[in-house]
Amino acid sequence: MQKKKITDQNWFSVVCWLLLIVAAWEIGAIVVAHTKRSPENILPHLYQILAAALSSAKVSGGMTASRVVLSSAGATLFRALAGFILGMILGFGFALLMKLSGVIEKLAFPYLMLIQLIPVLGLAPIILAITGDINQSRIVIAAILSFYPVATNTLEGFKSVDKDKYDLMYTYAAKKSTIYTKVLIPTAIPYFFTGLKIAAPMAITASILVDTLQGDGGLGCMLSQSLKHAMSIYVFWLIVFFSAFIGIMSGYLMSWIERLVSPEYRGSRRAKAGKGGD
Amino acid sequence: MAHMIKRRKSFFQKMRENEKVQSISTVVLPVLLGIVILALWQGQQLHALFHTDTFTLPIPTTIGEIFIDNLDKIGKNTVSTVVVALIGLILGSLLGYGIAVLAAVFPKFGKGGLSIIGAFASIPVVALAPVLNNWTKDVSKDASVRSMVAKILVVMLIAAADMGLNAYRGLTELEQYSEDLMATYAAKKRVTFLKLRLPNSLPYVFTALKVAVPASIMTTIVSEYFAEYITGIGRQIRENIVLAQYSTAWAYILTACLIGIASYVILMIVQSIALRNYH
Repeated sequence: MQKKKITDQNWFSVVCWLLLIVAAWEIGAIVVAHTKRSPENILPHLYQILAAALSSAKVSGGMTASRVVLSSAGATLFRALAGFILGMILGFGFALLMKLSGVIEKLAFPYLMLIQLIPVLGLAPIILAITGDINQSRIVIAAILSFYPVATNTLEGFKSVDKDKYDLMYTYAAKKSTIYTKVLIPTAIPYFFTGLKIAAPMAITASILVDTLQGDGGLGCMLSQSLKHAMSIYVFWLIVFFSAFIGIMSGYLMSWIERLVSPEYRGSRRAKAGKGGD
Repeated sequence: MAHMIKRRKSFFQKMRENEKVQSISTVVLPVLLGIVILALWQGQQLHALFHTDTFTLPIPTTIGEIFIDNLDKIGKNTVSTVVVALIGLILGSLLGYGIAVLAAVFPKFGKGGLSIIGAFASIPVVALAPVLNNWTKDVSKDASVRSMVAKILVVMLIAAADMGLNAYRGLTELEQYSEDLMATYAAKKRVTFLKLRLPNSLPYVFTALKVAVPASIMTTIVSEYFAEYITGIGRQIRENIVLAQYSTAWAYILTACLIGIASYVILMIVQSIALRNYH
């Protein structure tokens, strides 16, 4: 087999682009450092941010900057995850229900479409007012935001099953439950994961946003406090990079889980493992 | 007896197979559900369900009254939100499409750029908005202008990501043999691009817009929370809740929903006009 050239690899161009962005950032930082009185508010050097992450100086409540970020991230992300899982289960269940009953589908389908057009994040303050508890409202909003991409995509998956497959199942005289477990659900799984990939970053965004509405810990709260200079501005930059990282990783995590559970990838994985064993 | 059972069965069968009944029920059933929910809301049964009161969750008629009373103020904020969302969407879509074209022409480096811009889409708006606020401090002396620029930039990034990824698929996932056909015509690269790739990407552009239009409205609303200058639907929702004027906040939520629905309807109309020669 011919060996691929390094410049042909996809990751190589990703790395090039990353280097370009870093270079642009640093040039910007140098310009800002020479023209502004407090450059760290606008565009600090990347190494300064890294230094802030590693430094042992206490910024708030006897905690280092990294500790502040990580401990508040715990509160935020845990609720986001809880809401995400709740929305995922409800979304899948609802799609299944809509597939099972034509009446329910007709009742609910237009509303499922409508909820996509409604800026749910705009509802964050009102949900906070109704539930009265920040942890509860984090979970509720993350659940709503995860619910509809999962529900619509899974339903689309159920609908994408070919007529031939139904016909085959009828010739087998398969029971309804068999049709669901052997044909419909396996077909819908990739669509289900498409929904999850959309939902995961949204759940995180929602959870951080809810934090900013009430001063009760959490990433968003620290973000706004740091912006108001209640603590080192580097906490703000750390949170920006951290939440960007988490947002991007959440999408990759979903792809990874999809590969882990999908039958169509199982074969190739086994082949790989077998080759490794020999 | 046997006759009756047969008749009853055939009645349900008829209902299920009668296209008229089915198409009527597609409209009637959801409308009925909507009326039931509104009635429960108006009758305050919803409040009992959510353990809340008419102060935080005002009844629909109150929201309607406040909506009509504040129509000119709501109109002003709507314009501010829609302008930001629209400009951001247009600029972002153009940028995204441009990147997709570059990626299709120079696949070696373009693909990596697409992965990067896809990653941008997953960055929480909450993190982007304050950064861009900081960066646009020098754009103008006028706070309303510079916060508008910051909001537009955030929307632009989000819209560019959606458009870039979809348009690239449209430019590269061509009908089988169509590229070979162009090759047998000895068509120049430029001609292949104009006659094959560009038209092929149009349906994908609309797929992208279906995601990008609601996303850009949502992004505008969220970045309004962080903007320096107090304007827009999203900011008004928040400000009114801080002031505990929940019914006014609900009137703005209603406006946000209306904007979302209206923009989608417009998009659908444009799509049906633009794609009428496809399939």
